[in-house]
Amino acid sequence: MKLAGRGLSIGYSDRLVGRDLDVALETGEVLALLGPNGSGKTTLLKTLLGLLAPKAGDVQLDGRTLNNYSSRDRARLIAYVPQSHQATFAFTVETVVLMGRIAHGNLFSRPTAADRAVAARSLERFGIAHLRERPYTMISGGERQLALLARALAQEPQFIVLDEPTASLDFGNQGKVMREIRSLAASGHGVLFTTHDPNHAMRAADRAYLLRDGARVAEGAVGAVLNREQLMMLYDAPVEKITDPTVGASAFLPG
Amino acid sequence: MCLPGGADLFMSRSAALGFAVALTVLIIGLLIAFTVGRYPIALSDLFSVLLDKLSGRPSAVPPIVENVIWQVRGPRVVAAALVGAALAVAGTAFQGLFRNPLVSPDILGASSGAALGAVLGIFFSLGVFAIQSLAFVGGLLAVAAVYLIGSAVRSRDPVLVLVLTGVVIGALLGAGVGLVKYLADPYNQLPAMTFWLLGSLAATTLSDLLPLFGPVAAGTLVLIALRWRMNVMSLPDEEARALGVPTGPLRIVIVAAATLVTSASVATAGIIGWVGLVVPHMARSLVGPDFARLIPAAALLGGGFLLVIDTVARTGAAIEIPLGILTAVVGTPFFIWLLTSVSRTWS
Amino acid sequence: MLNRRTVMAGLSAALMTPRATQAATVNDAAGRAVPIPQHVARVFPAGPPAAILLYTLAPDLLIGWPRPNRAEECEYMLPDICTRPEVGRITGRGNTANLEVVLALKPDLILDVGAIAPTFVSLASRVQEQTGIPYALLDGRFDAIVPTYRTLGALTHRSAAAESLAQYAEDIMTTIRQRIAAVPVGQQPKVYYARGPRGLETGLAGSINVETIEFMGVRNVASEQPGGLALVSIEQVLLWNPDVIITIDRDFAAGVRDNPLWNSVNAVRDGRVHLSPKLPFGWVDFPPSVNRLIGLWWLAKIIYPEIFPEDLRTLTRDFYTRFYHRTPTEAQIEHVLAGRG
Repeated sequence: MKLAGRGLSIGYSDRLVGRDLDVALETGEVLALLGPNGSGKTTLLKTLLGLLAPKAGDVQLDGRTLNNYSSRDRARLIAYVPQSHQATFAFTVETVVLMGRIAHGNLFSRPTAADRAVAARSLERFGIAHLRERPYTMISGGERQLALLARALAQEPQFIVLDEPTASLDFGNQGKVMREIRSLAASGHGVLFTTHDPNHAMRAADRAYLLRDGARVAEGAVGAVLNREQLMMLYDAPVEKITDPTVGASAFLPG
Repeated sequence: MCLPGGADLFMSRSAALGFAVALTVLIIGLLIAFTVGRYPIALSDLFSVLLDKLSGRPSAVPPIVENVIWQVRGPRVVAAALVGAALAVAGTAFQGLFRNPLVSPDILGASSGAALGAVLGIFFSLGVFAIQSLAFVGGLLAVAAVYLIGSAVRSRDPVLVLVLTGVVIGALLGAGVGLVKYLADPYNQLPAMTFWLLGSLAATTLSDLLPLFGPVAAGTLVLIALRWRMNVMSLPDEEARALGVPTGPLRIVIVAAATLVTSASVATAGIIGWVGLVVPHMARSLVGPDFARLIPAAALLGGGFLLVIDTVARTGAAIEIPLGILTAVVGTPFFIWLLTSVSRTWS
Repeated sequence: MLNRRTVMAGLSAALMTPRATQAATVNDAAGRAVPIPQHVARVFPAGPPAAILLYTLAPDLLIGWPRPNRAEECEYMLPDICTRPEVGRITGRGNTANLEVVLALKPDLILDVGAIAPTFVSLASRVQEQTGIPYALLDGRFDAIVPTYRTLGALTHRSAAAESLAQYAEDIMTTIRQRIAAVPVGQQPKVYYARGPRGLETGLAGSINVETIEFMGVRNVASEQPGGLALVSIEQVLLWNPDVIITIDRDFAAGVRDNPLWNSVNAVRDGRVHLSPKLPFGWVDFPPSVNRLIGLWWLAKIIYPEIFPEDLRTLTRDFYTRFYHRTPTEAQIEHVLAGRG
């Protein structure tokens, strides 16, 4: 299945953020969206999610215009993982994950036994089953991000879209979330995430889309697109690349 | 735990206990309300009147006692339970909808609109039914105005805009109430307005119950039916939409249902604050923050709470103690305790 | 030689002199020495009780009314006085008169009749200082009617007329009091005063609203505690079970017989629910002024019908002629007694 934005002009009612953008994501692959602050990454993300109407162009999901889907049908195909936030109410982690099942019921339906099973599996998958009864507000930032991932997975979607999934996570958890993203793609989901860190894109994504000032700077396989020159142009700042010859892995550092 | 029909009534032991407590509060409230009062009625009289009615036998208790039970205390007790449940459920729904555990059902101006309707009715010396109708319509119109103005403002946070508009319109309507009071006849109309605004169930008759019951039942049933979606509605708007919930239309329905019950309650009983603010928190401490359990629990607890308060209002002294004052006297210390206690129920 | 002392002495002599010639004062109900204006042609009533009192004694002096009178009310009063303009109120509950407007009306005296609480006393002194117009605060309590008339008579140079009205009031009160005293203790009926559309507002012990009712020596059922107005529950009324209900609300009086809540009350069963007349001014409760005098007879007849055989119509005609300066027709008297308006 394919999620594709064609000729998108994106923005809000009072301003235009980006124009003439083409983005495509297939199930089974991971696409990383990179760009400096204010480049329009989040705006593009929300437009692809259907949360923001495009000012021009359209978004196609499985061949149909995204607009034509009801929120329910759309939620069964695309899941959104926002940055983990401080919640107002202290729902249990299980309750949070169960919210992902809403798209599979009707307006008045309560969670069924099948729903609970899906939620339980989702919690297991991310290793947070032991946090089931804990209030969401009393777990760590990393655990919260995993809970939101579990919720997205409980939607049983084809695509999962994450907004800065590693922001405010500690070093260890960053790696963990990146590994989960790879495994999601391995199990057949299409994953799109925005990030500030080119190294995450290198390790977790198959393709990268570089965005600056609302315009596409480069797009393609991470190996091809993520190099020093491109990144320096993207961020308008010096970038260092170091390579470990023994492992063959390389990383980018801000210069 | 499964019920027939495939419905899954999964509930932790502590939540089930919480429900039991809420139900007990309601039942105790009913018992106290029926037996305690200025007119002495024994528990045995109460039961024999009920049994006689059910079995169709002529009653052995004096007719005046029967009259008090069916015509005087009965309607008042039912009204207190209904109004308490209505305000508690509306408060719970609004706390979820506005993502703020400190909101009450008045936040969109329903009470102010109802107050203006009622004082206008008193100002023009209309009959009781007309005053109540004006109050009811006033509440609905106020919220409708808030909603229309709020939706005309384009914003990324529709909920915040609603709240701000509600505060502004509420203030405007409050000024209107002040103006009517200023122009009113100080000997006759002004005391009537003051008494009405302080809240009382003193004169509830059987014929008051039907116009109260209809809107309250309708609104409460809608909110109870939607309780499984209330958790999601308490998330930021984009997140909720991404989870598959049509937040715009659902918000209108929830606001309409909550306003319906609030306006009907205010039209019958005057302005009773604090129930919609404090009871949701009490319910949360019993059954947890999940709205699916919170809304029914709040209904039970709210009914019981107001029953006890109304019983005090009509028996504390020979004269009636206004409900609005009692709920404030009880609610304020409780709320201060809530704010200062370490384990707050919401975060 | 012009030194400071001489100048000061001269100035104070000059200032003292006008006061010396206007030395005539009378003490108002607050004990304030109010200077009596030499020439009184225009008097400003600070509130409804003052307006009514002044109208009964000296209608020509009345500048205007705190609230405009309705046409039905003017049928019982002197038409040109009744239609004098609205001038607002200065004191009591709610202040709608602008002091500058008051000054523009050039009153010789400001009259206030009501409670003598410190608030109103200080208001009186303040307004008198600000405007330089004598401000008299007279007691609005029912049992102070006689001294109040006398003081007003002194202030307006109408002592003779005031004396005759005071005497009339005195006679009514004495007559009624004497006959009531003959009723054996314990046989006074229990009376409930029903206000408001549901009849559940009432006046507590000593409240100005039930002054004349309590004058009748009856047991006000709501007199367990002192105070003003209060709301009660119907249950409480059932418990009290009054013998007589007096009300001012027409809808309540009309509907009470068929009301299942009320029809077990003695007063309702015995048909002793009475709607107070209110034209041109209420006979019971408000406005709390001398209009309540005729109400005394009405109350006496409904509470103790056996010991008050007088014809209420004659009494009404007499009172209205003397106090409202206009004799009502038979039809008008019927209209009033039926509680219309």
